[in-house]
Amino acid sequence: MHAYANPTRFLAIARPLTPWLLGVGLLLVLAGVWAGLTQVPGDYKQGETARILYVHVPAAWLGMGGWTSLALAGLIQLVWRHPLSGIAARAIAVPGMLFTALCLATGSIWGKPTWGTWWEWDGRMTSMLVLLFLYAGFIALTNGDEGQRQGGSLSRGAAIYALVGAINIPIINRSVVWWNSLHQGPSITLRGSSIDNALLWPLGLTLFGFSLLFGAIVLMRMRRIIADNRVAARLRRLADDEGTIA
Amino acid sequence: MTGVISGSGQWAYVAAAYGLTVLLTGAVLWSSWRAMAKAERRSDALRRDRP
Repeated sequence: MHAYANPTRFLAIARPLTPWLLGVGLLLVLAGVWAGLTQVPGDYKQGETARILYVHVPAAWLGMGGWTSLALAGLIQLVWRHPLSGIAARAIAVPGMLFTALCLATGSIWGKPTWGTWWEWDGRMTSMLVLLFLYAGFIALTNGDEGQRQGGSLSRGAAIYALVGAINIPIINRSVVWWNSLHQGPSITLRGSSIDNALLWPLGLTLFGFSLLFGAIVLMRMRRIIADNRVAARLRRLADDEGTIA
Repeated sequence: MTGVISGSGQWAYVAAAYGLTVLLTGAVLWSSWRAMAKAERRSDALRRDRP
């Protein structure tokens, strides 16, 4: 793993990988959306609105998975000071926030025809909203800070913030078990799924497809930060050379 | 149940959820790609101009 913490080695892998993640991700998402909208029947209780799960569940998974990765990057930054960990954490924040916002919005859109309300201050929705605010806080904390000007590394405070925020992830996951609310209990667990296979299979396509798109977005944002760092380093060298000549 | 929609009105909610997902994901994908391409072009141009 240490070998790939070098930006040059990382770019040798990231450059060919980005279009593959993007292309395969888009194809899988399109296939999953097509199947979810046209190839599966509506739910016998929820009707057509159950089709929203094919975008809502991947959004929830990536919102939570995004913060887990961000916290892991924060931990690596704190312990090993890998040059890429801070860059990765910065690159994860925006797509993580995007999918958390999509999870809340699509859940709300599903809630109105199903529960009769757009919003309920229950454990699952409130903890997901807290995750959205955590992402916003992380972006505000790291945007334009000293670390961004010095190669993209995270400050100690930002790395600790990422780790402390990770406490919210098991709370989101267990919220429907701990508190009784409008939100249904876990539908998919390690022991199986309460969703019938006739409705479940397009979810695999969108879940995997959106995950690949998330990966592509993260790689693109990491590549941008590395390119910006190289430009800044080059301009500093040019300025130093001019200063020496003068 | 009060406020619960049934019948063809359900498709409006499905369209809203999918439309929002496509719009926001597309916007972040597009802006990330453009920013990356612009930054890498600038970096490559500076490297080529190296004396």
